[in-house]
Amino acid sequence: MTTAVQNFLRAVDGPMTSELVLRPGNFGLGLIPARLKPVTTTSMICGFCSTGCSLKVHLDKNGEAVNLSPDADYPVNLGMACPKGWEALTPLAAPDRATAPLLRQPDGSMASVSWDEALSMFCGRFKEVQATHGPDSVAVLSTGQIVTEEMALLGAVAKFGMGVKHLDSNTRQCMATTHVAYKESFGFDAPPFTYADFEESDVLVFFGANPCIAHPIMWQRVMNNKRNPRIIVVDPRRTETAMAASQHYAIQPKSDLTLLYGLANKLITLEAVDQTFIDAHTDGYEAFARHAREFTTARVCAATGLTPDELDRFAVDIADRTKRVSLWWTMGVNQGHESTRTAQAIINLSLMTGQIGRPGTGANSITGQCNAMGSRLFGNATSLLGGYDYGNAEHRAHVAKILEIDPSVIPTEKSWAYDQIIDGIESGKIRGLWVIATDPAHSWINQGRFARLREKLDFLVVQDMYTTTNTAQTADLILPAAGWGEKAGIFINSERRLGAVRKVARSPGIALSDFAIFKLVAEYWGVGERFDRWESPEDAFQILKELSRGQPYDFTGVKDHAHLTASGGVQWPWTEAEAAEAGAKPPGQERRLFADGNFFTPRKRAKFVFDEPRPMPELPDTEYPLLLLTGRGTSAQWHTGSRTNKSGVLRKLAPTSLYVELNPTDATRLKVKSGDKVHVWSRRGEAQATAMITPTVQVGQIFMPMHFDEVNRLTYPAFDPHSRQPSYKACAVALERAAHR
Amino acid sequence: MDAPNKSIIDAYLEEQQRLQTPVARFTEAHSRTAKPALESVYRDLIPLSKPGPYEQYAFEVDLDSCTGCKACVTACNSLNGLDETESWRDVGLLLGGTPAAPFQQTITTACHHCADPACLNGCPVLAYEKDARTGIVFHLDDQCIGCQYCVLMCPYDVPKYNERLGIVRKCDMCHQRLAAGEAPACVQACPTSAISIVTVSVRHSEPERVDTSKFLAAAPAPDNTQPTTRYVSQRALPENARAADATALRPQPPHWPLVVMLTLLPAAIGTQVIQLLPLAVGAPAFMHWVPIVMGAIGLACASLHLGQPLRAWRVFLGLRQSWFSREAVLFGAWVGFLVIRESMPMFNVMTVFTGLVGLLCSVMIYVDTRRSFWRFSQTFPRFFGTGTVLALAIVAPQYAAQALTLKLVFETFSLTGKSISARLLRGPLRRATILRYTLGAAGVFVTYYMTNLLPGPLSLPLQGALVALLFAGELAERYLFFRAVDSPKMPGMPSAGGITT
Repeated sequence: MTTAVQNFLRAVDGPMTSELVLRPGNFGLGLIPARLKPVTTTSMICGFCSTGCSLKVHLDKNGEAVNLSPDADYPVNLGMACPKGWEALTPLAAPDRATAPLLRQPDGSMASVSWDEALSMFCGRFKEVQATHGPDSVAVLSTGQIVTEEMALLGAVAKFGMGVKHLDSNTRQCMATTHVAYKESFGFDAPPFTYADFEESDVLVFFGANPCIAHPIMWQRVMNNKRNPRIIVVDPRRTETAMAASQHYAIQPKSDLTLLYGLANKLITLEAVDQTFIDAHTDGYEAFARHAREFTTARVCAATGLTPDELDRFAVDIADRTKRVSLWWTMGVNQGHESTRTAQAIINLSLMTGQIGRPGTGANSITGQCNAMGSRLFGNATSLLGGYDYGNAEHRAHVAKILEIDPSVIPTEKSWAYDQIIDGIESGKIRGLWVIATDPAHSWINQGRFARLREKLDFLVVQDMYTTTNTAQTADLILPAAGWGEKAGIFINSERRLGAVRKVARSPGIALSDFAIFKLVAEYWGVGERFDRWESPEDAFQILKELSRGQPYDFTGVKDHAHLTASGGVQWPWTEAEAAEAGAKPPGQERRLFADGNFFTPRKRAKFVFDEPRPMPELPDTEYPLLLLTGRGTSAQWHTGSRTNKSGVLRKLAPTSLYVELNPTDATRLKVKSGDKVHVWSRRGEAQATAMITPTVQVGQIFMPMHFDEVNRLTYPAFDPHSRQPSYKACAVALERAAHR
Repeated sequence: MDAPNKSIIDAYLEEQQRLQTPVARFTEAHSRTAKPALESVYRDLIPLSKPGPYEQYAFEVDLDSCTGCKACVTACNSLNGLDETESWRDVGLLLGGTPAAPFQQTITTACHHCADPACLNGCPVLAYEKDARTGIVFHLDDQCIGCQYCVLMCPYDVPKYNERLGIVRKCDMCHQRLAAGEAPACVQACPTSAISIVTVSVRHSEPERVDTSKFLAAAPAPDNTQPTTRYVSQRALPENARAADATALRPQPPHWPLVVMLTLLPAAIGTQVIQLLPLAVGAPAFMHWVPIVMGAIGLACASLHLGQPLRAWRVFLGLRQSWFSREAVLFGAWVGFLVIRESMPMFNVMTVFTGLVGLLCSVMIYVDTRRSFWRFSQTFPRFFGTGTVLALAIVAPQYAAQALTLKLVFETFSLTGKSISARLLRGPLRRATILRYTLGAAGVFVTYYMTNLLPGPLSLPLQGALVALLFAGELAERYLFFRAVDSPKMPGMPSAGGITT
């Protein structure tokens, strides 16, 4: 009674209080909101970045996701996730989801049509384009964001069904460099490491990588390192990772290749070279050593801005052969005008010191998108499905046999790369374009050109979750796709780990999985029977296994999707033979490559590959005196933001409009204060931004985050000649305070 | 297209909508145990035992481990089942250092569970409670009337108004989890174990005190509320470390119902007071009703400001601690006395007293927030000035021009200097400022013209127009009073909606 009176005066309980009551969630979840209590949980791999975290999705009695939390039992993320992972379900419920096919009407508006109409239009228009302008005039831009089975089916349907020759993917924008670098140096695109190497290393060097915010869960593993490691960061900016490092070398942008050769020279001088390893397992060292000797201290210091002492110290830190030295890189290296050689210069350091194949060592590429690794193997772009060679008749026959198709439908030449496809649109050779789960009108370098080229396309199809991406807004036809969480398949992460995703939500309206859309395209194109083997993503996985047989990435030992989940993911290679030998034991959870020193080249020897450094193509001058650096803004934003911008809590964690980081010295000179509106322009375009004055960028340099589409109006379209990856990171711009309102 | 293809489409559409039910093949063999899978990860991040006497729980943030991933914010949102944009933890950024050693540091912030919590001290309905055992500052969601006074009282911008519920909600340190031996959401979710719960000692004095030497230097000073959060680092923060949003000018919400109420009530109280003075002789009889009508509308407006007006009857509970309660109770009494005095003129004095003290309480509501723009020397002249100007316009317009001139001159001092409020008034709020002075100048001119240059006494319509003009000017001033206030907070992120001049 007293309680009732007390509660009358002072309501300690009631409906609003009970909204926040927590109850045991079971399934290892601890307490969770009572109203979100799951009936069961299921685990799946996150669909944002390549870390490949496992998320435990909480399901209601209908099998529908109500919430998620990071999976504590998964070897990658050990119960943690970054903000994007925590919010992975939210973008599925966005109001701008594509719910039905949309067809451009004569008056310019979009009208929803049935799948039958959409597919008829798709095939009719593309066939018309091909009939008029030749079979190669329809091209495809694919993605690293869909599951491997879908990528493979897309590649197969487009090239072996529709007769498309030119197909490339947005992984060209992030991982092409690593792909080419590893392929030339190791004989196969094979990142050698496992995440345990973050924990097992004594010296970790990060080149052009900011894992603290770009790969926070990998950084977690660095923080778990109990060996009191020395952490070295090479980055023009004082990033979060540079702050957390033991040593930060703020070199001049794009001087990394010179620095790396200079370090090689120092290592020779310091007698840190592992001649036994070099003799036994590598080719081309002598020539490389001669090349490296050209990189004198004076030359390296002049290019990088480091002092001789700093260079010495850097070299000494990685020279100690009693220590485990691991070298890591990501987009700062990959997105450069000489990126392949830069990545290979990192590989060379590991090879010459024999720091590879053992715990805590390696020349290790941190990947970008969740399934860039899947795309690198099964994208069917510049290499034939499964890492084979279009030019090799045996390879074509082998692939055709597995797919049960006629080998003659397989092109004998590789695709054009992304930039060549864009050039092809300009020159009129490409007249039809099918874009899947990517937004080139935002993300392609020197994006203004892409927008102008739209007019040159007779038919543009965009297949996406959303109707609002920049590219979708200009499409002739939008095909509504199911998103991550609404379909099944596998991703392959940075450390070669295969992991499964599955359907835990219903896609809106009549949106279909990309897999189903590709199957339907094949049917309507009239080649459906060629892909009868691809009954479902699970069946497609069995095809991928067959393609992998005998290849460096052989994963024939993996049974199926469920096996992946039960094993905590499986790193390739995992062959049938290995599986048979292991018997009932699960595959080891942390496996690295090259322990035996055998690489994937014909001679099983790694190659030293090198070149003369070249200056960056567009240097600042009097007219454009500042150097623009681009990159990730925060951990809460993913690339073009088409998904992360849909989450209210993620939007809180990042500035909502474009900003530019500017050094205080430049700010004073330009009379700009923090918060001022500024005008930034390059030879290609202009952007308005809010100034953020920070000493973390150097004098003469500015930084803008790639998540805002205005940034790629400014970027300079330079490409690495080997990987054809765009050099997003550096171009010349001018900046001034915007005129007063 | 032919029928078979259509049936394929239908089959795919059907398949697309089919989910594996929990008994289907993807269900994992999870144990149904309630034992949390992350227990071993956070075991060392929460205290082994409950705080003893003179102790309480506190957040500790290891700045060296916090590298800006912001997972804590999303985990708080997700594991507490909060609304889409709601989170009880926020992150900000500090910048500073030298060209040779540039510095940046992410700052994660939740409620500081202060030893002397201003939110609690200001709450008119005792909707806050500081747990005697743990020191956690709880919010009673079903008690809250949604007045948002705690939002103004907290120097760290912690309590957040929830539009859907019409109440404030805030961090409770996941006390339910702590009670069950689990770590709070943010502690569980930090990939680098940067956030932990520690026990800190509390000096038992009135008010209580804690060691705030580990509090963040770049945050609002801790001496007011005694925040308990400890920000620890092996390396000293540079002297010049500033919040990335330190220079951002953030106009504050106008609180329109309060703007109207705090213009009407001073006018009503002033009118009632001046009516008793000799200069009111000869005013028409209906003037008697003016304060009652204005007061009633003003109080009605005030209730519009509340998210949960039906709970507002509890407002007397906070009389011992909250100026808000005192104001509400006195204004209620004042309206009562106004009515009673109609039959019992001896209540006139009582009414005057209640009204003036009530208005003083209004002033103190804002003074008590310790915001510079709302200090006593600013707020008292503004509120009482409004009362004087409008009461004179109603009762004795011949004096109104002088009073308004004085008030405008006084207000002009706020426009000068480098204070946040001055920069807001000159910058983002400059159009409202211009409006206020335009209305003010017009008011002075028109009043002077009407009372000195027009022959004979003012006609009622003319005087009504005059009062309306001056009222509009005072509304504009009160609007700026709310919008231009300095609003302390923990370090935030750059260009997150801020504007500078």
